[in-house]
Amino acid sequence: MCRLRDHAQGFRRRPFPDLSFFISSFRSFCQVLLGDMGAGKSSLALRFVKGQFFDYQESTIGAAFLTQTLAVNETTVKFEIWDTAGQERYHSLAPMYYRGAAAAIIVYDITNADSFGRAKKWVQELQRQGNPNLVMALAGNKADLASKKKIEAEEGQAYAEENGLFFMETSAKTAQNVNELFYEIARKLPKAQPAQAAGMTLTDRSASRLTPAKTTCCT
Amino acid sequence: MGGQSGPTMDSGDFIDESDYKSSAQAVKSSKTIQGGSSSLSGSESGKMMVGNGGPDSYEVVFVKDNVSVHPTQNASERISGRLRLIKQGASLFMTWIPYTVKGGGRQGSSIMKSAEKDRNLYTIRAVSLAEMRSIRRHTPPFGLQYIIIVLTSGLAFPPLYFHTGGVREFLSTLRNHALLVRSNDDSNVYLVNDVQDPLQRSLTSLELTEVTPVAVVVEPPPIVTKKDETVQPVEESPASTSMQTSVYRQGPRREASREIINVLEKFSMVTKFARDTTAHLFGESRLLGNSEMDFDRGPMRLRNEGSVSKSTGELPPVDGAQEPVKDGKEAAAKDEGKDTKKAQDEESEKQKRIANEEASTNVGSFELVDGTKNDTPALVWGRARPPPLGHEEWVTFLDREGRVVDSKALKKRVFHGGVEPNLRPELWKFLLGHYKFDSTYAERNALVSSKREEYKVLQAQWKTVSEDQAKRFAKFRERKHRVEKDVIRTDRTIPFYEGDDNRNVELLRDILVTYSFYNFDLGYCQGMSDLLSPILYVMEDESEAFWCFAALMERMAPNFHRDQNGMQAQLSALSKLVQLLDTPLHDYFKQNECLNYFFCFRWILICFKREFDYNDVLRLWEVLWSHYLSEHFHLYMCVAILKRHRRKIMDEQMEFDTLLKFINELSGHIELESTLRDTEALCLFAGEKGAACIPPGTPPSLPVVEVDPFAVSLESSQNL
Ligand SMILES: Nc1nc2c(ncn2[C@@H]2O[C@H](COP(=O)(O)OP(=O)(O)OP(=O)(O)O)[C@@H](O)[C@H]2O)c(=O)[nH]1
Ligand SMILES: [Mg+2]
Repeated sequence: MCRLRDHAQGFRRRPFPDLSFFISSFRSFCQVLLGDMGAGKSSLALRFVKGQFFDYQESTIGAAFLTQTLAVNETTVKFEIWDTAGQERYHSLAPMYYRGAAAAIIVYDITNADSFGRAKKWVQELQRQGNPNLVMALAGNKADLASKKKIEAEEGQAYAEENGLFFMETSAKTAQNVNELFYEIARKLPKAQPAQAAGMTLTDRSASRLTPAKTTCCT
Repeated sequence: MGGQSGPTMDSGDFIDESDYKSSAQAVKSSKTIQGGSSSLSGSESGKMMVGNGGPDSYEVVFVKDNVSVHPTQNASERISGRLRLIKQGASLFMTWIPYTVKGGGRQGSSIMKSAEKDRNLYTIRAVSLAEMRSIRRHTPPFGLQYIIIVLTSGLAFPPLYFHTGGVREFLSTLRNHALLVRSNDDSNVYLVNDVQDPLQRSLTSLELTEVTPVAVVVEPPPIVTKKDETVQPVEESPASTSMQTSVYRQGPRREASREIINVLEKFSMVTKFARDTTAHLFGESRLLGNSEMDFDRGPMRLRNEGSVSKSTGELPPVDGAQEPVKDGKEAAAKDEGKDTKKAQDEESEKQKRIANEEASTNVGSFELVDGTKNDTPALVWGRARPPPLGHEEWVTFLDREGRVVDSKALKKRVFHGGVEPNLRPELWKFLLGHYKFDSTYAERNALVSSKREEYKVLQAQWKTVSEDQAKRFAKFRERKHRVEKDVIRTDRTIPFYEGDDNRNVELLRDILVTYSFYNFDLGYCQGMSDLLSPILYVMEDESEAFWCFAALMERMAPNFHRDQNGMQAQLSALSKLVQLLDTPLHDYFKQNECLNYFFCFRWILICFKREFDYNDVLRLWEVLWSHYLSEHFHLYMCVAILKRHRRKIMDEQMEFDTLLKFINELSGHIELESTLRDTEALCLFAGEKGAACIPPGTPPSLPVVEVDPFAVSLESSQNL
């Protein structure tokens, strides 16, 4: 499930319509949203998938899974998105969601310096996983709150470049750069990739005591 | 019949030609009965029409004598009476009035008095067809014919035994006046509807295809016909006196498997889900066969608290079934002045959701009724949820000094009926363990004021942190910040927390920050604001809410431990429970590598807070906190909900990701009362095998009682 594969690699056994039969180029890929609590992970996902935004978006307990199928250039892409809980306390659960992901969006809140620090920690953790195929993006969210800005775009940009991520300032509230962010990730994914490549090389299963028998994303 | 997909509306299908003839003669034959039974004297005797045919007039269209209720298997306790169908205007009503035994009551013996009470209790004064959901007929070739009528309110009348036959005539008469649709699932079940408008009628019959029929099998006791019973119709007498006659019975433990099946059968009428359960559990009955069914733990009750009189009215009755008392209504009433309109909208929204609920949930709820004499469950009896515990009844649980005399009975009462909103602030303190059950009024008063002082001190620990100090206190800043981020997005659509600068949101923050100082090691953790919000809403007092929350956290803190041990323990217990109670589903999860049960994480972490609307959360938490059937009732509830959707999960071959999505999206679409009934049935059924799935110490069990430090020092000094 939630695995990177393209049309040639076969089809999912789920009964819902599998567009891959009809569309010349179809891929689905799995990505994970990481970042401090309140940074706006759920809001970004919701904006992208449903076009909605809530001022009182509830905190995420456990995790959420969302999907969105869109045409990106000539290809139809199914975005499968894991939205995780932000608090450090639940950190130990994150590996089960990011372990097999083809892409990760690390979100911080531009009005909150701590959240930027936390974003850096996520980047480091993912780098430690040593998956060369993982596409990573850094999103400086809540760009609409310019007056309260604590982290300048340059700072985010510089950090992203140093670490080989791509960077965008976004606003889930105004929808600024939200679609662009997800599209850009889709474009960045390796084009013709052996199905087993992305996200399959991770074998560190001791990261969490709660690690399930099977990784839950993109295995 | 069996292969058909739509509801069978063809009349020929359910009643054959000869029935038609008899139905055409129903009125005549009823006249004959009237005329023929000289022992009867009734007001309608010989007078089929009352009034001038206007809206107030009524017509008796069916009469059957010697229709009886069997409160127990004991033939001598049977109550015989007369069943009638009465037409008034466009509506049809059914009544069943027991006869009075000649000389009854005059002897003054208690037996006679209780018989009198029984008669009042079982009397069906007038139930409109519109209130009926289904009728199950039983016409065994040998033995008594009987019917069970299930009301739309979820109540069911006890079986009505036709000692001189006539079930078919009864049904065909009904059919002449109402829409009867034979259930697809069980050819002995007729779904009733009283809708006149043809369009409405077809719509309703569509809906009815969703209805799950009653599926109980009650073996009628051997026929013992009592002759020479001189009978007279009972005078209308208020049934209210018998409303408190309900007795909680403690049955003996008994050799189980058959009984378990009985119990399950009886519970199993509740929903489609439950039927699945039954089918499945039947398969497993051998496995569980040697487990003991502890009837004391069950909600088995003698009869029904006034449910009959509640669901039936005097003639002329009000149209439609009476709504059972709902927390929602009362809590909405509480919001009056806050935002009544909103509350109403929420309520109607909720009704809509319930209507959309996948499984039919209103078919009925049944319980064992005590077989007083021979200790075997004798018959089933619908139970509406008893009314919530109110103030007047509450004081009866207390002794003169205010101690709860029988905490178990109290818990049981709360488990079944819940608590009235205005009593919640008091009761929740007991349920949460902030008040001890054996404390006196005086002790509690003292506790309230001492705790108020203590709270002030705790709060001052952080409220007095100056800005300068805070600058150098990152941990504090961070903690406070986290709390603030969460309280501003906790239940803000509830009137109580709505709007900018809402004082209650500030209170949430203050309590949570204070708690993170009170329990510094645990700190603040996401999810806590969800747990506190309803508590503050109920308490409407900062200090009290704090202490109740702290008491709750005594049990629930492990949910928030960094190592996730508490959650791990519960999820693995859940896995074992599913294995026990639904092996195929367990196997499915195993096959799809979903055995970590992480898709239930949110359910467990915050006790279904996000899954139900606010008032239902209050109701649910009371049930959970009563710890009546199990301290881990919430885990059984997970099983119940999963089982309800098992087919969909397996048919759609959900894997972890889609499963988690599906489960998250169930939020707001789970009907609470039926889920509670299902859970109760599962919990009872699982019995000790279920308990064995849950290792001691699994949250929310209280952690092992800390030893009194003084005692420790004594002990260690002895060791020296
Ligand atoms: N002004 C503004 N507010 C935002 C934006 N994105 C999110 N928010 C608000 O920030 C708060 C937190 O957003 P969430 O999307 O719940 O954050 P999250 O990262 O999912 O948080 P957790 O689930 O707790 O990890 C909510 O009140 C949102 O309404 C944004 O782009 N602009
Ligand atoms: Mg979130």
